[in-house]
Amino acid sequence: MVKRLDDLPEVEANHLRRVECPTYDDTPLLGGKPLAERRVAIISTAGLHRRGDRPFRPGDGSYRVIPAETPARDLVMSHISVNFDRTGFQQDSNVVFPIDRLRELVADGAVGSMASVHYSFMGAFPPDAAKPHAQHLAGLLKADKVDAALLVPV
Amino acid sequence: MGALGHFLEREGIATTGISLVREHTEKVRPPRALWVTFELGRPLGQPDDPPFQRRVAKAALDLLARIDGPLIADYPEDVTEEADFTGWACPISLAPTQVDSLGAEIDRLATWHDRAVAARGRSTVGVSGLDMPSAGALVDGALAGSLPPAQPLKEAIDDLKAYYLEAASAFPDSGTDRMRKEWFWSETRLGEVLLALQPKLAASDDPQHKILGNLTLIPALERHRLAKR
Repeated sequence: MVKRLDDLPEVEANHLRRVECPTYDDTPLLGGKPLAERRVAIISTAGLHRRGDRPFRPGDGSYRVIPAETPARDLVMSHISVNFDRTGFQQDSNVVFPIDRLRELVADGAVGSMASVHYSFMGAFPPDAAKPHAQHLAGLLKADKVDAALLVPV
Repeated sequence: MGALGHFLEREGIATTGISLVREHTEKVRPPRALWVTFELGRPLGQPDDPPFQRRVAKAALDLLARIDGPLIADYPEDVTEEADFTGWACPISLAPTQVDSLGAEIDRLATWHDRAVAARGRSTVGVSGLDMPSAGALVDGALAGSLPPAQPLKEAIDDLKAYYLEAASAFPDSGTDRMRKEWFWSETRLGEVLLALQPKLAASDDPQHKILGNLTLIPALERHRLAKR
């Protein structure tokens, strides 16, 4: 069980301590509708994409498109990092990309609706490389009437 | 991950997210984060446990109602560690001395990979576009001769690792995920080949080879094996 970096094996903790994190002067916060009226997209940073799509490369800040109807058997992962577990994803894609869980939450009325398209970045991106892609992505989400995103790391 | 929260929220999309490394989230200060204590690579916690995953997803989504951020909420549930059976050994011997080539090892695993695909209904192999014998030949060739470009080599290696670990999950006595990773690095010829390839990549003049050799070939937790060689 991971608690804090100090609880991890030293070599793994040191690797994570070296990850450069961007800092921001302030954090924007939007209000909005209740969850039961929101339309939600999943945005993963696990380097996921459909088999046959362009794999991620070092320094790649762009995203891949995952239509909601994509079957789990078509999903692959080309994250460049080797420092996280992949056997969970091999066993069950929802442990990384919880689209079936989101679908269930919509079905039982907890969430208003689900985006028609979801997205994945590859988390080892330099923030500056991802920024223009993320801004473009915001426009695509709005065009799909999405008003909330669930960000899922790996 | 947290950076995306800043970008999207500023562009008008409300965001919430899962945090696996609390120290990173504390620095980036995204609008809303649900901190979980799960293993890296498993942000929803437990594979094949929909109710557990649904609780995590719902807890993260419930944070959307809050505008008192940047906030980090602690998720209350942990994942219990897999039981560790000491003395577990891979029931079919795939030790390097038991096969005469990487190709033979890959071939021997094919039937187990078929069984894994039949059980799970899917495979995560397929980033490189190569079949497994061809991926093995690329890796073998990289060790024996001149290095191919880093990207296709990395894709072939990732596919092979997925193939091996998926195949091992279908062994008659498959052990835990952790045991199968130990098996991969300590008992397979492919693990041995990757460890042997590392110094060659690190010494290359090509910066992409250096990235592969120094960062994205051998997991941090397995690098101690390099020193023993």
